[in-house]
Amino acid sequence: MPGSLLSVRGLSKEFGGVKAIQSVDMDLVEGVVTALVGPNGAGKTTLFNLICGHISPDAGEVQLAGRPIRGERPHTIARLGIARSFQDLRLFGRMSVRDNVLSALEPTAWLWQPGGRRAARARLHKTEAALERTGLSALAGARAVDLSYAETKFLSLARILVTEARIWLLDEPASGLDPVSRARFVALLKEAVAAGVTVCLIEHNLDIVTELADRIAFLDRGRKLAEGEPAAILRDPELIGIYFGEPRR
Amino acid sequence: MTAYLLNLATLATIFGILAASLNVLIGYAGIFSVAHAVFFGVGAYAGAQVALNLVPDVLLASLAGGLLSGLLSLCLALPALRVRGEYFVAASLGLQMLAVTVFSEAHSLTGGHGGLVGIPPASLLGIDVSSPWRFLAVCVGALTLSLVSIAILMRGGFGRGLMAIRDSESAAEALGKNVPALKTIAVAIGCSLAGVAGTLFAFQLAFINVESFTLEQSVLLMAMVIIGGAGTLLGPLVGTLLLLLLPAVLSFIPFIPATEIGTVQQLVYGLAMTLLMIFRPAGLAAPSTGRR
Repeated sequence: MPGSLLSVRGLSKEFGGVKAIQSVDMDLVEGVVTALVGPNGAGKTTLFNLICGHISPDAGEVQLAGRPIRGERPHTIARLGIARSFQDLRLFGRMSVRDNVLSALEPTAWLWQPGGRRAARARLHKTEAALERTGLSALAGARAVDLSYAETKFLSLARILVTEARIWLLDEPASGLDPVSRARFVALLKEAVAAGVTVCLIEHNLDIVTELADRIAFLDRGRKLAEGEPAAILRDPELIGIYFGEPRR
Repeated sequence: MTAYLLNLATLATIFGILAASLNVLIGYAGIFSVAHAVFFGVGAYAGAQVALNLVPDVLLASLAGGLLSGLLSLCLALPALRVRGEYFVAASLGLQMLAVTVFSEAHSLTGGHGGLVGIPPASLLGIDVSSPWRFLAVCVGALTLSLVSIAILMRGGFGRGLMAIRDSESAAEALGKNVPALKTIAVAIGCSLAGVAGTLFAFQLAFINVESFTLEQSVLLMAMVIIGGAGTLLGPLVGTLLLLLLPAVLSFIPFIPATEIGTVQQLVYGLAMTLLMIFRPAGLAAPSTGRR
């Protein structure tokens, strides 16, 4: 597809006989927000795990800007510019809010990060900026485990935001947020997209999907059933029936 | 009496290094090894062999002990890269049992069950440091150096990387952390320091055998770290002082018969561990309260 930054072709994964993902094709187009929609167990998170290298596909290809990334380790894929969040957030609970974000800017395993004090100051500056944007500056010294639910959601977003990754894969990033926090979250995401970030999000809240997504890919039982503009997908009675759990034919 | 206290202080310092080294694995990297006494032993045997066959220089022997332990730590790093949690504990337990057998049977290197005897008094760059006060000063210097090094490393990006892995390995990977490399380096640092502690231990006792490097020792070390506060700089020292000095303190209590000290010690340990896990599960030196 023209403008495709991330391309998935024929991706399949089976877990002990359960076909979690079956021959899925998908393109993430630069600057476009794609929502993955489908009932629980549709394979949405598995698709993220396959793209990011957390699990290996049985078949298929994943390309980032034309470069095959299937088989690469997760940290290599992350360094190539794909950032992801987790449904259960997976914050570094015993670390401070600041260290959670700062850590995202320190990928090297060496005892000292490269670039000396100037680079360290730049990393800290970026961290403070990310905390400011997500409204967490006042909590920079607090431990992640002590944050409220909404604060943890924004911390998860701050860790991604600071990486300046080209592609964000967000797994239910706004679930459980109150209306005010949700509005802040949507505004932040729109800012990022306006700055050129390509977003793919898994979301059950169809209001957020409608507000943010340019395209929807509908998954069910590991298969991509449809892809298109939100208005078309969300008006399809068969898909809506599947989504809301009506008996299938 | 002074000699007894000096010996106790020197042993506490050596075990302080050992507990601090295990804290790098358990407290910072989340690698729950029950094989740390193995690397303590490797350092002790290597240091003792240098002292017996080359020169009794504590610096040279410690370097040899630390390097060999660091090198052999790959035996621990390999399972740490493949398995986590209880599976890794089981793998390290296997390594501990294997090592005790090797320590007992490799007579030419370890002296077998009889151990290595007659380890000569220590010197440091040609200066005799074998007197109790001087050797205590050497051990305090080594402990200080170890703690400062750990503090510097853990406050930087490397330490944050380890703690990120400890709290969520998959999230750390997703943020670009090279988890295998970080774990391998953490294990190498922790085990090298354990090797240095082993060498100092060999000089202090002038005799070592397999009894000091068994699973019981590994469990005691783990208890020192957890009771003191895993992931804190001074917690392992607090744990060491508590667990090492407790038997000594009990022996001074007049109404406990000498033959019952072991039993009382076990009762106190058990009670202390239970109360601690209820009231301060993060350890004595760990911060106790959160924001909410």
